[in-house]
Amino acid sequence: MNTTGFVFDERYLLHKTFNGHPECAERLLSIIGGLSTAGLLEKLMLIKAEPADQRWIEAVHNIRYIMKFEEACLWGLPDFDHADNSICRDTYEVAQLAVGGVLKAIDAVMQGEVTNAFCAVRPPGHHAEVNQALGFCYFNNVAIGARYLQRQYGVDKVCIIDFDVHHGNGTQHIFDTDNTVFYYSIHEHPSFAYPGTGREFETGYSGGEGFTLNSTILPGRGDEEYREKLLGDLVPAFESFAPEAVLLSAGFDAHESDLMSGTSLTTEGYDFINDTIMELVNTHTNGKVVSVLEGGYQLDILPVLVTNHIRKLMGV
Amino acid sequence: MFITDMMKTDLIAVRPETTLVDAIQLMETGNFRHLPVIDGDGKLVGMVTDRDMRSAKPSTFLSEEEYQLTFDKVMQHTVGEIMTTELLTVAPYFTLQDALLVMRQKKVGALPVVDEKGRLTGIMSTRDLLKAFVNIMGIGEPGTLLCILVNEQPGQLKKIVDIVTEENVSMGSVLVARDWDEKKRAIFPYLLTNNVIAIKKKLLDQGFELIDPMGWYLGHLPQKK
Repeated sequence: MNTTGFVFDERYLLHKTFNGHPECAERLLSIIGGLSTAGLLEKLMLIKAEPADQRWIEAVHNIRYIMKFEEACLWGLPDFDHADNSICRDTYEVAQLAVGGVLKAIDAVMQGEVTNAFCAVRPPGHHAEVNQALGFCYFNNVAIGARYLQRQYGVDKVCIIDFDVHHGNGTQHIFDTDNTVFYYSIHEHPSFAYPGTGREFETGYSGGEGFTLNSTILPGRGDEEYREKLLGDLVPAFESFAPEAVLLSAGFDAHESDLMSGTSLTTEGYDFINDTIMELVNTHTNGKVVSVLEGGYQLDILPVLVTNHIRKLMGV
Repeated sequence: MFITDMMKTDLIAVRPETTLVDAIQLMETGNFRHLPVIDGDGKLVGMVTDRDMRSAKPSTFLSEEEYQLTFDKVMQHTVGEIMTTELLTVAPYFTLQDALLVMRQKKVGALPVVDEKGRLTGIMSTRDLLKAFVNIMGIGEPGTLLCILVNEQPGQLKKIVDIVTEENVSMGSVLVARDWDEKKRAIFPYLLTNNVIAIKKKLLDQGFELIDPMGWYLGHLPQKK
């Protein structure tokens, strides 16, 4: 059994979105409930989150964008950059704390306190661009994590695997020209799903050509196509890139019961994702992986999927 | 939508007496396939395409030496000698729809746009058309496509638009497939949002059917005999 770290902080609940918004505080409460019922909560090593130092956020985001976001929250505006991105006065600090939670998890893994970690954070991050909030995301938690791994721990090659049902446009664009961060995303085909990017011909450019890989899933194709693409695309690319550490953009919105998407992935399909990733990580990076929550909006199934995911991280 | 909003207007044009060597240089550095030829008054007198240029070049089967020799000779000819003079031109008041239908029917890759005096004002190419379609479909902006099956009766689209409006969401575009099924139409609104759950729920509550677009695609593939 692995020692698995778990990042959670009650302050993550303070980011209040408008009534009926799918990215709500109840998502995290449902996850805590699920882990507690499964008897896993006490077996995880709780990692305390601290607000990220601004210089790490600046490693990815434009300083003017960071200021604009803080101001929007302080002034009590209802949303930021787009009506999707519902905010409240606390959102800025919670977003800082979400990044900080991921950095703390990275510390714990890199200093050998835990083998791997799951970060139950919000707001999510993978749609956030260098200077634009999109799709409920403000700071790109995983992208900042990748820069932190490189600059704080001297990790040369980081792989980000994004299995949220939506393409992580922000993460892709941040590392478009970078050959030290390999970005793999598997998501519903962009002709049908938000944000409409992540086609298979998007493979990075100039210095980063070949260091972005997108696998698209047509509506309704579910488990079989996920299996085919993970084995055919992810596994060989991962092995040839040979990363030293892995970050996951863990989205649980591809499930057949989640109205956010149409990919029809089953609970067993998610297990296949978990198993494939864990095998890669165990074989190639000494098990070093930090998994960060992105989407997943069906409150009955989200805790089940996260619990299964964490079981695989723990190796039980 | 008029073609004047979409056509290319910062044009490079040549005179009939321009040599092929100069013309080929312009086309290669500018990365375009249609070179307009004008007279001293700016009137369009001909067009040279990359295909015309290729026919003018010597055969690649020649030896390197022979090729270069013939090439240098050929390239001293003028565009006036190879240009097409029977031109299909359009007027600035043509719409996107006109351009689409003309280009399809006449099988041309670009349309020179000329004013009432015959002066060249722009070129509308398939590339410009593609750009216009990305714009029309709204897919330059992040969004989600919904696939909704409705009965063929008036007022269906209004109900959908009302639901989308209630949720404070903008539309990038709406496409309608008229030949979905007997007495059914499929409506594809492209919504500029990631937040589609509430809209989907309301649609289902009002009796709309959300369809699997792949079912339509596969169901309509020509059957093997």
